[in-house]
Amino acid sequence: MRIDAYITEYARKTPQNTALEEGISSISYGCLDNDINTIASSLMDFNHCRFAVLAESGIQYIKMLMAVYRSANIAIPLPIEFPKFSLEKILDAAHINNIITSDMQYSRFGEDFFERFETIIVISSDTSVKILRKKIETENNNPELCLVLYTSGTTGTPKGVMLSDKNLVANAESIIKVLRITSRDNGALVISPHHAFGNSIINSHLVAGGSIKVGNMNFVDSVFNLIESGVSIFYGVPSTYRILLRYPDRFRRAFTNVKIAASAGGGMDKAIVKEIKELVPDVKILPMYGQTEATARLAYLPSEDVDEFVDTIGKAIPGVILDVFDSESRSAGSDAMGELVATGDNIMLGYLDDEIASENKIVNGWLHTGDLAQKLPNGYIRLLGRKDDIIKIGDHRVNPRDVERSIEENNEVSKVFVVPVYHELMGTAISLMVIPAAGTKVEELFVFCRKSLPGYLCPREILCIDHLPLSENGKISNRSIIEEYQHVKASM
Amino acid sequence: MEQIRNDIVDYLKANSFMDNNSSLNDNDSLTQKGIIDSIGLLELMDYICEKYSIEIPEDLLTPENFDSLQGITNMITKLAK
Repeated sequence: MRIDAYITEYARKTPQNTALEEGISSISYGCLDNDINTIASSLMDFNHCRFAVLAESGIQYIKMLMAVYRSANIAIPLPIEFPKFSLEKILDAAHINNIITSDMQYSRFGEDFFERFETIIVISSDTSVKILRKKIETENNNPELCLVLYTSGTTGTPKGVMLSDKNLVANAESIIKVLRITSRDNGALVISPHHAFGNSIINSHLVAGGSIKVGNMNFVDSVFNLIESGVSIFYGVPSTYRILLRYPDRFRRAFTNVKIAASAGGGMDKAIVKEIKELVPDVKILPMYGQTEATARLAYLPSEDVDEFVDTIGKAIPGVILDVFDSESRSAGSDAMGELVATGDNIMLGYLDDEIASENKIVNGWLHTGDLAQKLPNGYIRLLGRKDDIIKIGDHRVNPRDVERSIEENNEVSKVFVVPVYHELMGTAISLMVIPAAGTKVEELFVFCRKSLPGYLCPREILCIDHLPLSENGKISNRSIIEEYQHVKASM
Repeated sequence: MEQIRNDIVDYLKANSFMDNNSSLNDNDSLTQKGIIDSIGLLELMDYICEKYSIEIPEDLLTPENFDSLQGITNMITKLAK
């Protein structure tokens, strides 16, 4: 069953029930289903084609996404918080002929941006459909494909995770079981819906027939108002909680009637858990772990174990099997370190147009997460870092080597090294160490990063160094870079 | 007022996605034009608090007060009195 078919089902059974709320507007299942049909009717003559979806994070975005599903086409959401430059990289990689967008984004990005598309469909806030141009081309896509989510479109080569209806429904049902979501629940969607976590909130609450209050994290007062208007399950990445916890009194008031505070997208640290527990002892804290390659979720930590096991990812969600493999792909024993692998109906079809990367990622049906892990005696799993050099910056997965390359290629500089550093709100931010070239101007490097990289990659500081940060055996890694950075800081 | 507005424009030019040569009208939405994101807004708020020695309670962190040059300038003028 497709995700949008659940909406039709609820539109038949409980048409008056609220599906989505945003600010002062709200929409029932009955009206939502009608609007999806209106938009989908302009897409029906496309035969399983790729559609970029470019819209802000509200009700309108959800309608467009569901309309692409309903017309049996393929949705490729574009994260609007990325600079134009990064979106164009995704578009280059994904070979997309068609786009569906809101009138607001159409005027924001301007005609030049849309020139590359053969089909442009603009949806206005009253759901009227404007077809600016239309050309139907035959595409050869994986027959099960319905959604492509981009994991690292910021720098380097973006990777498109291909997901099927089966993936989306399986993961939504697992999440419903873990959080016990019912049709009476109001979920809060204040994080980006264009990535796996936000997308999973939409799917799980709509499959359960519940409602979603949609907002964003721009204005703290608006977020608290949204929560106070009656949210039973709040979702945030760790930085969401760090931002809201800057206002402890308001946090206490807002979260008093919240049932569950769920998190994903990065590990919750002890300090956040402790602060939430002190302010609102009755709220259940439920950290979850996952990857876009697994649709969204893979594991969760039951709330009763949060105090003792917050440094673990807990156990597999229903429908998923997790294991830790040694270097010969055998199940490792308790406490031994290996790579975390996963299998289940939520594991992606593969990467878009990249068979080699897909074959390396999914081997004999097991998704290789790239996370190093160990199994504890009680069955919970503790993460021990990454196999590769990927780091989490402001809860986004970032390959520092890609960031370095992108800065080096576009600036007068000899070498660039990304250093993960502590940040009060994001958890981790980056600083740069650079080996200057003749024309290097630090201020220009700052300007480049601000204009061409997403906000969370803006460096806190840029330090000039005169030699490579090599380790004792002559290699450059996150570790050798961090050690050099500490050395430079200590001598300043 | 004019001075405050210029300070904020300088800050945005140096610290946001705004280009040096792009023009910004007093009532343009900073978030909808993609000039600033949520972390950027909090950093702007910290900058304002320090620069004008004011405290901004969380119930003033609204689109009316923070999403445009006009809103920000008005709010600072009110709080700095």
